[in-house]
Amino acid sequence: MVVRNQAVLTARFNKLQDPTDVETFCQLGGYAGLRKVVEMNKVDVLDELDQSVLLGRGGAAYPVGKKWRNLFYAESDTKYIVCNADEGEPGTFKDMALIANDPLAIIEGMTIAGYVFNSQQGYIYIRGEYRNMHRRLRQALTNARKANFLGENILGIPGFNYDIKIISGAGAYVCGESSALLNSIEGKTGRPRVKPPHLAEVGLYLKPTLVNNVESYANIPVIIREGGAAFRALGTDKGGGTKLVCLTGHVKNRGLYEVNLGTPLHDILYSEKYGGGSSTGRPLKFIHFGGQSGPIGAVEQLDDVAYSYDDLRANELTVGSGAIVVMDDSVSIIDYLTVVAEFFAHESCGKCTPCRIGTMRILELMEKFQRKEAIPGDLEIFETMLTHVTELSACGLGQSVSVSMFSGLRLFPEEFEVAINRQTADQKEVIW
Amino acid sequence: MANITIKEKNEIIDRYHANPEQTLNILVDLQYASTDGYIDQATAQFIAKRLGVTETRIYEMISFYAILKEESQARYVLKICNSAPCHFSGEPLVSRSLKEILGVNENEITDDGMFLYHGIPCAGACFQSPFIKVKDRVFPNLTAEQISQLISDLRAGRYPAL
Ligand SMILES: Cc1cc2nc3c(=O)[nH]c(=O)nc-3n(C[C@H](O)[C@H](O)[C@H](O)COP(=O)(O)O)c2cc1C
Ligand code: SF4
Repeated sequence: MVVRNQAVLTARFNKLQDPTDVETFCQLGGYAGLRKVVEMNKVDVLDELDQSVLLGRGGAAYPVGKKWRNLFYAESDTKYIVCNADEGEPGTFKDMALIANDPLAIIEGMTIAGYVFNSQQGYIYIRGEYRNMHRRLRQALTNARKANFLGENILGIPGFNYDIKIISGAGAYVCGESSALLNSIEGKTGRPRVKPPHLAEVGLYLKPTLVNNVESYANIPVIIREGGAAFRALGTDKGGGTKLVCLTGHVKNRGLYEVNLGTPLHDILYSEKYGGGSSTGRPLKFIHFGGQSGPIGAVEQLDDVAYSYDDLRANELTVGSGAIVVMDDSVSIIDYLTVVAEFFAHESCGKCTPCRIGTMRILELMEKFQRKEAIPGDLEIFETMLTHVTELSACGLGQSVSVSMFSGLRLFPEEFEVAINRQTADQKEVIW
Repeated sequence: MANITIKEKNEIIDRYHANPEQTLNILVDLQYASTDGYIDQATAQFIAKRLGVTETRIYEMISFYAILKEESQARYVLKICNSAPCHFSGEPLVSRSLKEILGVNENEITDDGMFLYHGIPCAGACFQSPFIKVKDRVFPNLTAEQISQLISDLRAGRYPAL
């Protein structure tokens, strides 16, 4: 039975001489989840997932149990299992760590999904930038096939036929959005689809499809093995399990950590086990959570906050992808957000006008603030622009451009204020 | 893609059973195999024919995906990170040093055709910035001296695998 403070996702890290070797993987608990699931009633599997309160680790925190249930009851002879390994959020490298150190755990999770949904085909869509990891995954798949954990009549069960293909991404952040990702797998340009219909009904090649993140899949065998309740106890009642977090920026010990959900944020930042405090000698000022699309928190306001879905949400923050970018007080929020705005202007896929044009306008305004050339009225234009882009964009990219900007405005209004030259006349004309 | 023969191109395409679903894999693999780092028109046409899709479709893919290039790249493409975590963790040192050492701006090839540097949104190496990535290899936690050393080493052919 697993207990708090025990690694579950990283348990096999550095213990496998060859992380793609099936035999040592099995000696360390590997494939125990798959062996167990084939003895279970499928509806019980869904119940365990609900019990676990595993929230999607790709960023949107959608309950995995609910997503699986939707797909389970979708009617179709063909269903697809897709693993989102696009890992596009800057400051995130946990999926890469899982692929590098324990690729078979992901494959086991996807194979369990294959069993539950009678699916024959899985896909792993992996970031183009992760070429080394493609090889690692390919080797792991080959080894799993040799050991009959993929292929035909898996575990000797007649008709349990399932295999997995790898598709390379090629450097488009938007392809991490699940419908864009499916278009990309189909060999098209990766622009998002208009939803609904949901992917559980109309997904890859118009068939019901499951899209989950790498870390979500790696958690599945743990839940099956240990039970949903034990998994939930690793975290909090509103979000079970451990979370892989990626600490970057101005902390001493940058890197990947597995933390129990509910761990005090203060520990993650300052304890020697994790961040180890400021690397620059200057006080830490703000944290960007969950990637570029996530919100920003002021360090001094977060002393008593736990790193859990519920506590962060109560403070208008999110877990997101698990990125924790920490900045010291030498960094102005304006400079920081200008770099964020550049990212979105660069990555907008151009499908909807508000996002395509709006991300440019937002960047221009940020640069204006940065040069301290803003004039009265610019702040109002900025806020209206952010609201427009959020409300009128079709996908999560455009919809989340404003998240970090609004938290910056709320937390550090004085930095925006000094960027405005109050001597100039008020703007009469509205630009849109 | 002068360095790849028709036979090698066919091998890469056949690895994916000439399946149009695998267009991205094929394009990425072909580009990585080439020394000039791009998909030239003859190759784009060749792939289109083998996969039974239009040339336009292939170019649509090349222009949409940032990793795929339609123009010849330098012998060594140095990738640096543009994003916030790296930008505020010493990345400007890399772009400044490269500009100084190579004497070109971002996205410009040096006169000898050896180097080009450009920003990418994230390489998943945020905990190692400032870094430079060449093909698959990350050169982590760089100082100004290490950056100029790296350039001379690359110039001297000390990293034949890259
Ligand atoms: C612009 C954009 C980029 C995204 N990038 C990723 C990504 O790189 N990896 C990922 O797992 N999810 C990403 N997502 C979230 C996915 O759309 C989807 O919610 C997720 O893959 C579902 O898996 P999960 O429920 O297991 O988290 C992105 C979403 C958006 C809108
Ligand atoms: S919101 Fe932006 S990224 Fe998303 S579909 Fe529209 S233009 Fe593309």
